[in-house]
Amino acid sequence: MILIKLAAKSAWNRKVSLSLAMVSIAISILLLLGVDTIRKQAKNSFINTISQTDLIVGARSGSVNLLLYSVFRIGNATNNMSYQSYQDIAAMPQVKWTIPISLGDSHRGFRVMGTNQDYFRYHHYGQQQPLLFQQGQAFDDVYDAVIGYEVARQLNYQLGQEIIIAHGLVSTAFSLHDDKPFKVVGIMAKTGTPVDRTIHISLRGIEAIHVDWQTGTRSAIAVSADQARTMDLQPQTITAFMLGLERRIDTFRLQRQINQYRAEPLLAILPGSTLAELWQTVGQFEKILMIISSLVLVSGLIGLLTTLLTTVNERRREMAILRTVGAHTYHIGLLFTLEALLVVAGGCGLGLILFYVTQILMQPWLATSYGLYLTISFLDVQQWLILLIAMILGVILSLLPAWLAYHYSLQDGLMVKI
Amino acid sequence: MTAIHLHNVQFRWAAQMQNTLYIPELSVQRGDKVFIQGHSGSGKTTLLNLIAGIHCPQQGKVQVLDTDLTVLSAMQRDRFRAQHLGIIFQQFNLLPYLSLLENVQLPCQFSSQRKAKAGNIMQTSLHLLDELQIARSMLHKPVNTLSVGQQQRVAVARALIGQPEIIIADEPTSALDTENRQRFLDLLFSEIEQRASTLIFVSHDPSLATHFSTHIQLAELNAITLSV
Repeated sequence: MILIKLAAKSAWNRKVSLSLAMVSIAISILLLLGVDTIRKQAKNSFINTISQTDLIVGARSGSVNLLLYSVFRIGNATNNMSYQSYQDIAAMPQVKWTIPISLGDSHRGFRVMGTNQDYFRYHHYGQQQPLLFQQGQAFDDVYDAVIGYEVARQLNYQLGQEIIIAHGLVSTAFSLHDDKPFKVVGIMAKTGTPVDRTIHISLRGIEAIHVDWQTGTRSAIAVSADQARTMDLQPQTITAFMLGLERRIDTFRLQRQINQYRAEPLLAILPGSTLAELWQTVGQFEKILMIISSLVLVSGLIGLLTTLLTTVNERRREMAILRTVGAHTYHIGLLFTLEALLVVAGGCGLGLILFYVTQILMQPWLATSYGLYLTISFLDVQQWLILLIAMILGVILSLLPAWLAYHYSLQDGLMVKI
Repeated sequence: MTAIHLHNVQFRWAAQMQNTLYIPELSVQRGDKVFIQGHSGSGKTTLLNLIAGIHCPQQGKVQVLDTDLTVLSAMQRDRFRAQHLGIIFQQFNLLPYLSLLENVQLPCQFSSQRKAKAGNIMQTSLHLLDELQIARSMLHKPVNTLSVGQQQRVAVARALIGQPEIIIADEPTSALDTENRQRFLDLLFSEIEQRASTLIFVSHDPSLATHFSTHIQLAELNAITLSV
């Protein structure tokens, strides 16, 4: 239709000022869609990371803190707990299975976790899915390692690859356990959880690499890899452990028992309820982010409105020309609305592109720093609604300049008295 | 055959109590070339607005080509104007965001009958621009790089495309220098003759009147000024 063509050409003619309005709208769409996506996906991702675990136990600190470092590998434990306490609790009749874990080392940016073979038997995620091997098998020898899907993919590791573990999370030349290399004997299938980004070794392996280290540095007396193998590698401490019960009913009683454990201060949490606790805090934050993003959209639209309004006066001559060739007065107003719609639609389109590009760029960083596994997918109904509302708001705001233009063209007729 | 007939037309602006225009009688025959002389503020633009159907008089009859515009709705008048009228202003006749050709073809976008009369629109517009001495090399230049003289001639092409019966020109030469003015008038008349259109030419400059068959003084036409 001629009006759409005129609106498009007129907008293109003023593309510099209009494109600024369009970019600002695009940024607000990026924010709105981004906040909405992270909100939904974070919740899903966190919920899916662990399942079928009744309690998580660690040294007494905050419950959210314990959940974050034990399951999501975010943050660090303030204290370790004794292996003795672990054994005592594991021996209790109500406890069906346990998985001890030991954190603190890393390899080329990926966390190293010490555990035992029970991990591969009892750890579940998502919809009660067990851990599966893509290649190889669980560790057997002291210096065996099993790596997650992402570790293998990013570092291009195959079975048999030799890896050096670094002490702590930052690898410098002084902190490498380079006298005790490990060998990759298993690569796990993809889970979409922090397991993918973890290197698993046995608890004995953890003990072996630290046998000649004291309070974080290498001691003067070196112990070779083979020597260490022959030593008694029973761990003294672990970071935390997960447990599953024979009967669900015992959950709260056992939790209380552990929290009141006399031998050392411990904390037992229910993963589900601690997650809900975390989500309450995050939920407030989400709401505020959405409100801020909406305000950014409104300010972008007002910027567009300002641009259109300032041009109404300048364009009265154009409007007179259109009237002489037979355009109706409402056509004149409609032109402004169509232009606004084109700019907002363009802003939405650009915003969508920015949204997907940002997701692709941020995917790895979100996974490493926050354990959030972003799935890039099409927009859901709510998100299409956001775009629709943006366009409707644009049309509504454009009614002001449109009405003004209509009003002037009624008055002016053939002669514009400026 | 009457092209335009105004009878007992009285017009005032909405806020005003007094009439700005009172025309007891005005008659223009088909094929006439009429020169209406009036200084700015004398109501000449109001008169043109009435003939073009932009505004409606509070009283009286405005008949254009056997149609009484006063009984039509605003939208019907818009369509009538698109089909039967070509209008040229003093300056700023062209839309800066359209190409030369698109400007010329604009009336055909608003009236299907006019489009039909134009036939092959591209050929017709090129032909018109040729006749009005717009060089082919200018065709893809942006409209605001044209000189005023060239812009006015393009405006004539737009007014003429699709052969509307009536051409209205409001001070079309006032922004031109003497040489361009003569050229413009020559070309305009040549085109009008070819098509036997009716021309209403309004200006404050009496020296132009020599080219026209009919010469009307707006001050005499408008009974308001007479009674003062």
